Amino acid sequence: MLTVTINGKSYPAREGATVLEVARAVGIRIPTLCHHPAIEPYGACRLCLVEVSARGRRRMVTACSYPVQDGLEVFTETERVSRAREGIVQLLLARAPGSKALQALADSLGVKEARFEAVTRAERDCILCGLCVNVCRERIGAAAISFAGRGATRQVAAPFLEPPEACVGCGACAEVCPVGTIELRWLEDSVEVLPFGARLPLARCRECGEPLGALPWYDHVRRRLAERSLDLPYLCHSCKRRLSATAAKAASLADSRVASVRAGLP
Amino acid sequence: MGTTRLTSVEELKRWQEECADRWQSRGVQVRVCGGTGCNAKGSLSVQAALAEAAAQLEAEGRGFTVKVTGCHGLCERGPIVTIHPGDILYQNVREEHVPQIVRETVLGGHVVESLLAEVTPGGAKVTSANELPFYSRQRRVVLQHNGLIDPSSIEDYVAVGGYQALAKALTLMTPEQVIEEVRVAGLRGRGGGGFPTARKWLSCREAKGEPKYVICNGDEGDPGAFMDRSIMEGNPHSVIEGMIIGAYAIGAHHGYIYVRNEYPLAVIRLREGLEAAREHGLLGDNILGSGFSFDILINRGGGAFVCGESTALMASLEGRPGEPRAKYVHTVEVGLHGKPTCLNNVETWANVPAIIANGGEWFASIGTEGSKGTKVFSLVGKVRNTGLVEVPMGMTLREIVFDIGGGIPDDRAFKAVQTGGPSGGCLPADCLDAPVDFDELTKLGSMMGSGGLIVMDEDTCMVNVARYFLNFLQEESCGKCTPCREGLPQMRRILDRICTGEGREDDLDLLLYLCDILEDGALCALGSTAVNPVRSTIRYFRDEYMEHIAEKYCRAHECRGLFSYQILAEKCTGCMRCLRECPQHAITGERRQVHTIEQAKCVQCGVCFDVCRFSAVVKTRPAIVRVPDAVSEAGPD
Repeated sequence: MLTVTINGKSYPAREGATVLEVARAVGIRIPTLCHHPAIEPYGACRLCLVEVSARGRRRMVTACSYPVQDGLEVFTETERVSRAREGIVQLLLARAPGSKALQALADSLGVKEARFEAVTRAERDCILCGLCVNVCRERIGAAAISFAGRGATRQVAAPFLEPPEACVGCGACAEVCPVGTIELRWLEDSVEVLPFGARLPLARCRECGEPLGALPWYDHVRRRLAERSLDLPYLCHSCKRRLSATAAKAASLADSRVASVRAGLP
Repeated sequence: MGTTRLTSVEELKRWQEECADRWQSRGVQVRVCGGTGCNAKGSLSVQAALAEAAAQLEAEGRGFTVKVTGCHGLCERGPIVTIHPGDILYQNVREEHVPQIVRETVLGGHVVESLLAEVTPGGAKVTSANELPFYSRQRRVVLQHNGLIDPSSIEDYVAVGGYQALAKALTLMTPEQVIEEVRVAGLRGRGGGGFPTARKWLSCREAKGEPKYVICNGDEGDPGAFMDRSIMEGNPHSVIEGMIIGAYAIGAHHGYIYVRNEYPLAVIRLREGLEAAREHGLLGDNILGSGFSFDILINRGGGAFVCGESTALMASLEGRPGEPRAKYVHTVEVGLHGKPTCLNNVETWANVPAIIANGGEWFASIGTEGSKGTKVFSLVGKVRNTGLVEVPMGMTLREIVFDIGGGIPDDRAFKAVQTGGPSGGCLPADCLDAPVDFDELTKLGSMMGSGGLIVMDEDTCMVNVARYFLNFLQEESCGKCTPCREGLPQMRRILDRICTGEGREDDLDLLLYLCDILEDGALCALGSTAVNPVRSTIRYFRDEYMEHIAEKYCRAHECRGLFSYQILAEKCTGCMRCLRECPQHAITGERRQVHTIEQAKCVQCGVCFDVCRFSAVVKTRPAIVRVPDAVSEAGPD
């Protein structure tokens, strides 16, 4: 175990942990936008900047990606940290002025008035944190969306700015989006991933017809499970329960009949 | 002996002697600069005409050698032709001069007076390069053979001692000794960071993981910079040899040269160089029979400025978008493909053969306490001798700009020099005595960078300069991190409004606030150093900012709307030329009567200024201070 000092107090930390992991484990709040425990640190939003002092040098690093070393000193609430944090929120507010989540974050950090006008174009208040892009590539393996363009014209998009062909409709992007830019819309016979415009047919329960999710997603999971010799039938939860109960009952009835015959009973 | 594969150092030595003998016995050598600058001015047609003449004379047994070389440096006066023997330098040579050069110099042994260079405009003419302060004040280590050898000939490189450092390293030195020699030399990274090269090599050597990689960063992208380009184009083998020596020291067997595709000549020269080195057994398996194997691949970059950043470059090499990542774990440990990787800049690699050949102490004897050796600069902007120069570290900016550069043309006054590329700072006249040194330049709020030097005169508006560089960086920002992606456009917006007379009182505070956020918050050096042009111009030229904001005046008369055109009564002849040309019909007056400009109609297009043959139109303080509303009333934009 290593020892890390955060704001003057010492804490144990395991080798390879990030400053953010150590801080959160002991209840020290460091705001983040582009961080998600299931996704590799990306370090793009810069909101988790903290000051560290290592080998006599004091500098600003992102807590989400900075690996702790023994004896590391971390400062999460210095003037320099607050200034940077506030500045970053200010800049994001100028890009995504309509985002309620961002506004709430600004309020929680005590950022009162917006200092900057909107100069960069934001699609649906997207703050370009990259979580959707990274979850799609890293966890789902679809890589249906990515960043297109550079600098201020950067945007999250599918190839050729068309609806993403590789999208399986899992909805992981909507799940991890910290500002509510991405949403799934359930239609009669399909599910739509907005704002990307992918529209996927639904997988349905073969018994009752209840939608199970996007068909490509369902098949994607079926394939992954099949690799481990597991079967995922096209069944909704209730039908699955009902069918397995019936099957169990039939099996036990059959079993009892066999037993009766063997015992010579009628 | 052509393409024989060398299998030992002895064979290399013998080949070197052969090449040197051939070099000596060539007789008259005419060297035409084939660098990009001279090339653009038509040097290749000069070379073609010379080659044709040489071929004709060859039949008569009076042939001479014509050679295309890399950049000679004096780009301002190109195409440059030098002739050996006699060390004659001809400037501004055109195709029609060729018969005269052949007749008088090659055959007659006389110099062609009209093609000689002048020390100062209209001053005495000199015969050889060394008589020009432009050359005599330089100290050439990296550029030593640029302009002398044919970059596409490995024989030329070997003739002047090429690959002898490699032979020395492979046979007489252990990898550790090579690193020690570089440490003693005090070589620091020439790409901008100034990190001690030996320390980087050692960390990479000691890092766990195989394979290890070495990379040459040839993604030079600063506006107006062509140092690395000229080295790759003019002496590709010096870079290749440096990389082989480095790879030997580090224990790497794979190397990459990342060169931008906008440098097509550099790509060709490097390809030829790698091919020739491979054919001669200087690359590949069992180099010179030493048992050490190493090869280099070229990767062409797509031209994104940010790909010059080491982690973005590696991402690009891996086929991913060129975006940087945090370097909390250094690339010498986890670099290309997650393996230990040593990345150095072109000029850094090109210094290595000289250090190994002459010893670290020799190299350390040049330069200052903290910055050893020389530095190549591309000297551009408002300076007489635009070109490529190499000077010992510690030389003052004044010496570079005035002694080597020849000062400011057109009798204008010096205003500033920007060092370090777009993320460098602008230093005023007060700083001219500062030495060229990594640490000194940083202290002044600028940086060494990769070696761009842009000279500005009194007609340059410093606010506009900051705006120009910020705009460049904003366009080149990858957009990954918030401060750079959002902060630079905000800064650009503020500078825009200052330059158009709509600056606000607290704009400087707002700019400095954004500088802090970028410096502390940006992910990579593109963002964190992007503040330098803004910070340094505010630090040294605050008055100019204040004039723009408070007085709506641009003293350099560059920002439209922040100055006005006036007609001087004593100079105006009433020729009606400006009156006729003015697209706004803002000029009134009768023939042979003094004309006047109706300021409310004038849009500062400058046509009157350009067409007046009597210098009667001048730029002055704004006649009327424009409030934003008045601008729209004044007429169409």
